[in-house]
Amino acid sequence: MNKVIIINLNGNAYQLEEGGFEALRAYLDTAARRLEGNPDRDEIIGDIEQAIADKFRTLMGANKTVVATREVEGVIAEMGPVEDASAPSGTPRADGPAAAPGAQDGPKAGPAGASPKRLYKISDGAMVAGVCNGLAAYFNIDVTIFRVLFAISAFTYGAGVLLYILLMIILPEASTSAEKAAARGAPFTAQEFIRRAREGYYEGMRRFGDRHARREWKRRFKQEMRGWRQNFHREMHQNAQQWAQDCRQHWALHPYPVFGWWIAIPVLRLLSLLVALLCVFSLISLLATGSVFGILLPAGLPVWAGLIILIVVFQIIALPLKVMRHALYYGGRYEPMYAGWVHFWNTIAWLGFILFLVWFANRHSLQVHDALRNLPHEVHRAVDSFREWWARQ
Amino acid sequence: MSSINEKFSPIRKGLLEFLVLKVVSADKVYVADILKELSGTEFATQEGTLYPLLSKMRREELVDYEWKESEAGPPRKYYELTAKGREQLREISEYWQKISGTVKSLGQKPGQ
Repeated sequence: MNKVIIINLNGNAYQLEEGGFEALRAYLDTAARRLEGNPDRDEIIGDIEQAIADKFRTLMGANKTVVATREVEGVIAEMGPVEDASAPSGTPRADGPAAAPGAQDGPKAGPAGASPKRLYKISDGAMVAGVCNGLAAYFNIDVTIFRVLFAISAFTYGAGVLLYILLMIILPEASTSAEKAAARGAPFTAQEFIRRAREGYYEGMRRFGDRHARREWKRRFKQEMRGWRQNFHREMHQNAQQWAQDCRQHWALHPYPVFGWWIAIPVLRLLSLLVALLCVFSLISLLATGSVFGILLPAGLPVWAGLIILIVVFQIIALPLKVMRHALYYGGRYEPMYAGWVHFWNTIAWLGFILFLVWFANRHSLQVHDALRNLPHEVHRAVDSFREWWARQ
Repeated sequence: MSSINEKFSPIRKGLLEFLVLKVVSADKVYVADILKELSGTEFATQEGTLYPLLSKMRREELVDYEWKESEAGPPRKYYELTAKGREQLREISEYWQKISGTVKSLGQKPGQ
């Protein structure tokens, strides 16, 4: 009678006799030690466990549920010792069959260590098209941060929205598991950092140990900071003078028509600021939790539609405040100073309208839907033909 | 015979990558296919050697794999050559031709 131990091999459960378990553990421990420093170590160990599991499965039957010790030993012999193929071929490896087991230990991953990372769209768990998802995977940063950044950048004349649409068209979709793996790449973890540092990747950093280099760097940094500070002071001074002059001219031309303007303007300004802050907060809350002040998005409404609705709602709230402020400042006159803001809201409204039209057409017209689906392909073809034409010039 | 076998052990080891490139170039294969293909030859090898080698070749972008469902058991990794792998195979094949030509011609009298 023998004791039986249940093990988990890459997600498969097997019952082994105790002696077999010891033998298998020793084999896998040795394998892990020999692959020390190999960036794919966990993957290789997983592959090997899977191969062992496959071999065990062929041994099992309806009346046989335990793997005997000699069967485990047979499987291990079939697998053969794990050798790290990443060992540089230049080192003396004419070691024959009697090589010391420790001879291949130690970090030896080449400079081509990490698998290349690529930027993809990832539609699993995406809110719009997976662009933020792909970016988050690429930079290994939480996806919410990218979403908030894109939402905020929508305020810069809609540049963020345009950028998103461009990325949506350009980036390929990660559909196979290999592409998904490439989208995430070898995670740039602290371990990886240490490994690279140890291998002297960061030659530049090491130079900080050199006293002269460090002093030189410090000197240059200080110099740059000084120059920057001086520039900043000068510009501030010039701006202040310019502003004071403008103000004086303005007062001379437009005496204030409304009584109590000196208290009304700061209050209105503060209110507008509060509304803007509230808008940013609710955008963040919508992206992070899917609800705004406890109000959930109606079922079936995509998050991006919620974003546009939020922006429009806050625009409507802010509009009277702005109109009043304008009236106080300029007596209703339209001033180029505020043209930027007007342009901005126009852009947002315009982009929102276009987006809504595209979405609506995509939803209700089959031709438009097909055309949109073929759009990336058409764009690629157009770019290719342009490139050919350019090459012929 | 066994001493020759031992003498050529490092050479066989070095050639294994070349042979794996050749096997993978013919078709999408998974590890058991590669082992079977090599098992009858002087280059018979085992999983313990092959998995680390394939992972290294993938890092060097010579091969790539794709998960595929199998009839029995979990999905398997099917390997295939990348464009770079194909290029490498072509170069090594050429080099191998040169080497084997050299081995043949050396030590022969010029008149023969």
